Amino acid sequence: MNRRKFIAGTSLSTAGVILTNNLPGCSSVEQKGKVSYDIMKDVMKYRKIDAHCHPQDDLVKQLEIADRLGISKMQISNPVTNFSGTESEGPDQVRMHNDVVLNAMKKFPDRFIGFFTLNPNYRKESVEEINRCVDLGMAGYKGYTQVKVNDPLYYPIIEKLTDLKMLVFMHTFCQLGMAGYRMKYDIGRFPNTTLPEDMVEAARRYPEAMFHFAHIAGGGDWEYECKMLKECPNIYVDTGGSNNEENIIDFAIKHLGEDRIFFGTDDCYHHGVGKILASDATDAQKQKIFFDNYNNVLKKGGHNVA
Amino acid sequence: MLLDINASVGHWPFQHYNYNTCLSLLDRMNKYGVDISVISNLNGVFYKNTQSANEELFSEISSDTRFKDRFIAFGIINPIYAGWRDDLSVCSSKFGFRGVRLYPLYHDYELIDPLCIELVRAARDAGMVVAFTLRIVDSRPRSWMDIQKEWALKDIIPIIRAVPDAKFMILNVANSTELTDDEAALIMNSDVLLDTSGRAISNLGELLKKFGNNKFAFGTHSPVLDYVSGRLRIESLRASEADEATRELIRSGNARRVLGI
Repeated sequence: MNRRKFIAGTSLSTAGVILTNNLPGCSSVEQKGKVSYDIMKDVMKYRKIDAHCHPQDDLVKQLEIADRLGISKMQISNPVTNFSGTESEGPDQVRMHNDVVLNAMKKFPDRFIGFFTLNPNYRKESVEEINRCVDLGMAGYKGYTQVKVNDPLYYPIIEKLTDLKMLVFMHTFCQLGMAGYRMKYDIGRFPNTTLPEDMVEAARRYPEAMFHFAHIAGGGDWEYECKMLKECPNIYVDTGGSNNEENIIDFAIKHLGEDRIFFGTDDCYHHGVGKILASDATDAQKQKIFFDNYNNVLKKGGHNVA
Repeated sequence: MLLDINASVGHWPFQHYNYNTCLSLLDRMNKYGVDISVISNLNGVFYKNTQSANEELFSEISSDTRFKDRFIAFGIINPIYAGWRDDLSVCSSKFGFRGVRLYPLYHDYELIDPLCIELVRAARDAGMVVAFTLRIVDSRPRSWMDIQKEWALKDIIPIIRAVPDAKFMILNVANSTELTDDEAALIMNSDVLLDTSGRAISNLGELLKKFGNNKFAFGTHSPVLDYVSGRLRIESLRASEADEATRELIRSGNARRVLGI
């Protein structure tokens, strides 16, 4: 068929469709079965604490986005990420990072719940920094990739946080090249990144401690993560991260139960909220995830929201 | 009216998805107030002969009278596979499909392969829309059998430049929207729609300022992504960012214009 014949054929046929069929959406009759859905009403129906955020350069703008989505409280931390590989990770740097969080807490005390970070390679300084940050009103700990959470260097920190009834909140990851499968892939992640298996080991060693596995939607294999963490009741997860695949929340509820899941965004606000709204969770389950579960854990250390 | 320009049915070989049939998607649409969905069959991403997937889709849509007014079908065509010209003709003339979705990353050809350009021109001449998806899934947690590469908005520019008078939909804008001034001008002067399902559309207010009110359309990327975030990005806009008329354009007006309905 040459181009002219093709065009002529398709044009006529298309015309035939127009003449003989109703075009989708052109019917004046209301679509059968369709209900009106007020998404903003649904968004605002739930109280929300975001269990995984970081202070942005423009805090006012960050809070304005949170306001749109009915996020009243945000837990913020500022770990030393050292993405460049050249950044100092020593005690001075750690303090400086924590001071950014403290400043945000000071500016907006009703909105931000501050978590401190540490580098467990520095034992003495880490204990001192915990004391300083707790005295200044911080409510928990966020670790990064300096040391795996199951490393003995973490034991005194986990014990101290447990005494304070605070979460051991860890940056975590799990994808090709990491965790229990397909180790031949090198994806350039820091070798001391905490994997699901690492947190399980720590959680079994310290069953009285409370662990928080970060961002199951942060690009990791969330099915793998949920299945691996299933048997440890003292590990919580947050839903943060830029991935908003349809089944994440329902899968997490199925494997972890409705009480071990925190709403988190990791600063991905719209789809952070959207993925929970779109899940098949009940209203009561959504309220637990958006607010109650995290608030109940904060309450143990006296840092809950009234 | 809500018109979703980015939904699919069919299977994803590496993961289970709910709501990936016409019937289950229709239930989803009814629950969340979506009037019409543009759909293609994900199976066509993986079949060597994509026309089998298009036949499956036509058969499924024809199987229930409730589907007729609620779905607009797009075919999936691979221009480096035998018989694609006939396949396109059948999709347009026999099946009544109103567009095609192309997957160069999965079907392993270059975006500006002469055959791809020929296909886009043929679709244009047939009055069909051409859609590209920047990524189907997030490559980070992908299966070891899946592809790694994802596109940014910039990567689509060469095909728009090659056939600037075609109608394009760019779906799941998950990565950078950074463009040079020339590239941005090309988008603004062409009939291009970006759907709201991708994570890079979270700053929709800023993007409206940059690209204008007629370049965005509601999309879900269902069944892969959650069903409501694409809409939340529209409805959470402040009045100063988008008035009601602009929202209506994004909810359905722009899509209706490009689809010609």
